[in-house]
Amino acid sequence: MLETLAQAVINGLLIGGIYALVSIGVTLIFGVVKIVNFAQGEFVMLGMYISFFLATYFGIDPLLSLAVSMPVMFLVGVLLQHFLIRRVLGLGDMPQIFLTFALSLFLMNVALLLFTANYRTVDTPYSDSALYLGPLYFPVAKLIAFVLAMTLSGVLWLFLHATDLGKAMRAAAQKPEVAMLMGINPDRVFCVAVGISLALAGAAGSLLMPFYPASPMAGQTFVLMAFVAVVLGTLGNVKGALIASLMMGVAESLGIQFVGADSGLIVVFLMLLLTLAFRPSGLAGGAMR
Amino acid sequence: MAEALVIRNISKRFGGLRAVQDVSFSVNANETVALIGPNGAGKTTSFNLITGFHRPDSGSITAFGRELVGLRPYDICAHGLARTFQVARPFGGMTVLANVMTGAFLRDKKPDIARARAREAIEFVGLSAKEHTPARDLTTIDQRRLEMARALATEPRLLLLDEVMAGLNPAEIDQAVALVGKLAQRGLTIIIVEHVMRAIMAVARHIVVLDHGQKIAEGSPKEVVANPEVVRAYLGSGYAGAAAHGEMTC
Amino acid sequence: MKGRLRNSSALWLGLLAVVVLVLPLVVTSRFAIDIFIRVLLFAFIGVAWNLMGGYAKQLSLGHAAYFGLGAYTSTILEIKFGISPWIGMFAGGVVAMLASLPIGALCFRLRGPYFAIATIATAQVLMLLFLKFRDFAWGAEGTTIPNLGSDPLMMQFDAKAAYYYIALALLTAGLVITHRIERSWMGYYLVAIGEDEDAAEAIGVNVQKIKRDVYLISAFLTALAGTFYIQYIYFIDPNTAFSFNISVEAALVSIVGGIGTLWGPVIGTALLEGTSALLQSWLGSSLGGVQLTVYSLILIAVILWRPTGLFGLFTDSYARIVHRKPVGARQAVVDG
Repeated sequence: MLETLAQAVINGLLIGGIYALVSIGVTLIFGVVKIVNFAQGEFVMLGMYISFFLATYFGIDPLLSLAVSMPVMFLVGVLLQHFLIRRVLGLGDMPQIFLTFALSLFLMNVALLLFTANYRTVDTPYSDSALYLGPLYFPVAKLIAFVLAMTLSGVLWLFLHATDLGKAMRAAAQKPEVAMLMGINPDRVFCVAVGISLALAGAAGSLLMPFYPASPMAGQTFVLMAFVAVVLGTLGNVKGALIASLMMGVAESLGIQFVGADSGLIVVFLMLLLTLAFRPSGLAGGAMR
Repeated sequence: MAEALVIRNISKRFGGLRAVQDVSFSVNANETVALIGPNGAGKTTSFNLITGFHRPDSGSITAFGRELVGLRPYDICAHGLARTFQVARPFGGMTVLANVMTGAFLRDKKPDIARARAREAIEFVGLSAKEHTPARDLTTIDQRRLEMARALATEPRLLLLDEVMAGLNPAEIDQAVALVGKLAQRGLTIIIVEHVMRAIMAVARHIVVLDHGQKIAEGSPKEVVANPEVVRAYLGSGYAGAAAHGEMTC
Repeated sequence: MKGRLRNSSALWLGLLAVVVLVLPLVVTSRFAIDIFIRVLLFAFIGVAWNLMGGYAKQLSLGHAAYFGLGAYTSTILEIKFGISPWIGMFAGGVVAMLASLPIGALCFRLRGPYFAIATIATAQVLMLLFLKFRDFAWGAEGTTIPNLGSDPLMMQFDAKAAYYYIALALLTAGLVITHRIERSWMGYYLVAIGEDEDAAEAIGVNVQKIKRDVYLISAFLTALAGTFYIQYIYFIDPNTAFSFNISVEAALVSIVGGIGTLWGPVIGTALLEGTSALLQSWLGSSLGGVQLTVYSLILIAVILWRPTGLFGLFTDSYARIVHRKPVGARQAVVDG
């Protein structure tokens, strides 16, 4: 019984790492650019397809393809901010919501047209192996994904706190007018923020390929988790998003294990609704950190 | 004389900042009182507390015999207190007329009556020519006039004006002062937050001075202006000995 | 809009009414009538959404919740208790109104995108719940409605034209309701809330109550559409009834056509459904994803070019043509 519990927690934590990458991306964009990116899941999906094609046609392992998917998605992010998002800033909530929302629909359906709805998988030597620790097992692919996800999160954290550009980003997030007065170019900062955010999404996609099938709708589940984690962890709070994502992963896993196979989603939604009902500002209740 | 507004020992903190500390004062009916003080003194916060946008941590606010603390802003407005915002907040997607009608609907839900009352208020502030102009296309000053008309349309007994004279040239200040005077003649009780000394001297019978969230002085304009504490608050200790006269703007 | 405009717009309206009433008698293609019915129905759903989302700018992306509740209420009453869907439609509306109270209480505490997310979540939760309700509501498989042939009392008709007229009646009712609200104090209050909730409250608007009331109306109307749709397609299941696509389209048609305007949803629906129909006839309906790709491109284009919807374009053009002067309005402005 305890073993089942422990295993469920482990499973939850491991997938939580992926949720973290996606949710950190969402919260970063929200904190800096002040918009909610409804299309974040689709960029995860794009990362998945990039890795899929690199693996299928060039035999490149998905983990190695991070070196491609991340820079490509970073560039996509910069373009997205500069050409699309910038045009709707300051116009109120609606254009922002519907722009990223429309983008999400667009990417999903273009993927459907180009790639069809078929699931695409990548088989790696480690896709089915696992490490054993007593009665508990750690699927290797998920473990590596978790470790890399945490590493990337850590690198981002350092970037935000130890580099000038990162600090500029946090400044722009907390006090945009003051940041501008101090010579920080908001568009440049926004471009980097969106770029990083999408790079993380792309990374999540690549890390998923060894054990998760790619499909046009694949991003939807992850973006949902990400949103819940972002709200739970407080909007704009990177550390909060990370912790909340891990919690979400565990909650979902426990739900699947002890309530029923299709209950994961309900558990997540209920967590969202409960958070919104009782503590809408999230667990941390503070500003971008 | 009956007291329109009685504020007793109100305090409000925002995190570590004590915006308002133990402030008490009262305003008599049909009186025009000026609330002055350096920036950050707690004037707008006081307005927000009075009109229900924030809840005081402690203390009581009574207007026309009713306790206001705990009431929602719309209730307070229905009770007879209307305010303008320091930075005007017109409904940009509505014309001047529609904006003011929205205010008028508080007292009567029939569109024709609301329209007539709105037109009165618009004429009072001098915006009749721009009745059908979208509010977002107005100049800043006209937006302030709109804000006042909209507040007047709710038929308040007590009007709180937040820095309506900021940035006006002397001729415009005179117009604004005349407007406030006319409102006072109609029987309105008015609390005005202002920095423009000339205007304050002209309209206010009584002045309350705040600094760093506390009330530091209260009295007639002459008394307040000669008060060393007040001078110190605005100009620093070096000037505490001198009395200020005439065209001093803070 | 008064005076000069009144006579010409009454004329246009009359013309439109005649065309619309006569259409199913003139056009006999079943395919075409089906499209018209879809246009009418989704315009109606859009009108219901627009009251809340367009005027008061409460951007719900979860209206499918009420669509589904309406659909399931009438279907359950019909199949399990033999009650006519005409009554069931009304009952569905009531159920939707009741549901909108707790949902609104929860969601209205949030602003902007978080309100939208919460509404999505509530619709999804309902879908998931109905997927589980096998005994109560047929679960994931759903059910068909027994075809009784022509049975007007049970809202079943042989002639498609009948459904056309019902949908038309619903849309007309929705437009009339919107028109009356628009001109009343509530219309002004809704727009004020959409512009600036705090400023609205400062002039005596009970924002929470108004939001709650408009949500009641919006939910009720959306539920009526749900009942109609199920009666029309003779089938219900949670994925259809609570479909996210319905929530999306409800919002989309208003955004594209002109939020916060009377005719915006109608224009938007005509455009989107018309495009969809054209695509279907050119490419065949087999290419999944084409329709939504085009929809989303249209939406992106509209947002970048005219964020408040296309209605402003028409009023501008109209004013330019009829009054021969350039009008700078970026969107429909509420006048007194």
